[in-house]
Amino acid sequence: MVKGLIVGTLTAAVSFGAFAGASNVSSSKLIKEATAAYKQVAKDTSYQWTVSVNSIKEAQAAFDKGKYTQAEALAREALELVDATRTQAKIEAETWQMRVPK
Amino acid sequence: MKTITRATLAATVGLGFAIGVSAGPVEDQAAFQKYFENRFPNTPTADCANGVYSILPEARAQWESIEEFPPYELAIENGEKLYHSKFANGKSLADCFGPEGAVRGQYPFWDKDRGMVITMERAVNECREANGEKGYGWKKGKIADVTAYMSFNSRGQKVDVKIPSDDPRALAAYEEGKEHFYTKRGQLNFACADCHLLTAGNLYRADTTSPGFGHATSWPVFRSKWQSMGTLHRRFAGCHNNIRANPYKAQGLEYSNLEYFVPYMSNGLDFNGPAARK
Repeated sequence: MVKGLIVGTLTAAVSFGAFAGASNVSSSKLIKEATAAYKQVAKDTSYQWTVSVNSIKEAQAAFDKGKYTQAEALAREALELVDATRTQAKIEAETWQMRVPK
Repeated sequence: MKTITRATLAATVGLGFAIGVSAGPVEDQAAFQKYFENRFPNTPTADCANGVYSILPEARAQWESIEEFPPYELAIENGEKLYHSKFANGKSLADCFGPEGAVRGQYPFWDKDRGMVITMERAVNECREANGEKGYGWKKGKIADVTAYMSFNSRGQKVDVKIPSDDPRALAAYEEGKEHFYTKRGQLNFACADCHLLTAGNLYRADTTSPGFGHATSWPVFRSKWQSMGTLHRRFAGCHNNIRANPYKAQGLEYSNLEYFVPYMSNGLDFNGPAARK
């Protein structure tokens, strides 16, 4: 149990550290990365999720207010949403015909 | 979150109910209509043009009372004025579509010369532009009013969308519309077919989803939710927003091809627009 607690504490510390280190530079870089990924998935698949661009806008708004930790978290969320969009497009390209009645 | 989203997406792969190779438009249409015959055996075929009210007796009575004093009446009146208003060159929409604009049954159609689907809304705006006028906006307002007037005068015409066999581009446009209809999109991971085929008639929160057979016969419509008239492409965009997918441009390639597929599935039904819908 003690070992579990230590591992849990260390994991939490590492996760916190990832955000605690957020800065003007790192959050700006992540927002740019998320924006580029969003545009790329739109080009590649013609799929776009409204929530991805919302997260990017919210990340930019947090950045503008100097809330870099929040900005990074939102940019990471946008990247995950873009990743999920791409996964959806890939799955659907292979499976949409399963829904066609015959 | 990513893991959950991926797991959800992967799980949906197993939800297909019929695995098969792609069929042609004629086979698609027969299977589509047969599906709804089996799903709603008590609904007369012709009544499917009334959307969700064809399968929902409780809501039908309320809808019929709304239709006694239809909320789209003003749109028809305004549409009539717009239809007969003279352009700067002295002509009017009547010069393109005849004295009453009763041409609903001719749309959408495949324009071989231009290699594209022509919807009635596009035809109206192209008529205006050819006569030196600006086109209307695509989703609501004057375009909905004019097409409400034209649709009203076209009531009873048959849906008769044709996929010409001598132009492979027409079949490609149909196939794109078909793929769009059956493809899941948006964060909520929905396809048009999920609501309007696979679970048509089921409740989503407080609303029953309408059967896909009969879609596109009644446009433009006055929606209670909008409290105004709107075109079919306005509805497409609204659906995409609901599932958190970015909508496409009204009258763009995606929605025009979708409008080629959707009414083709309802060939044989009567056009009965404009209509009132929730």
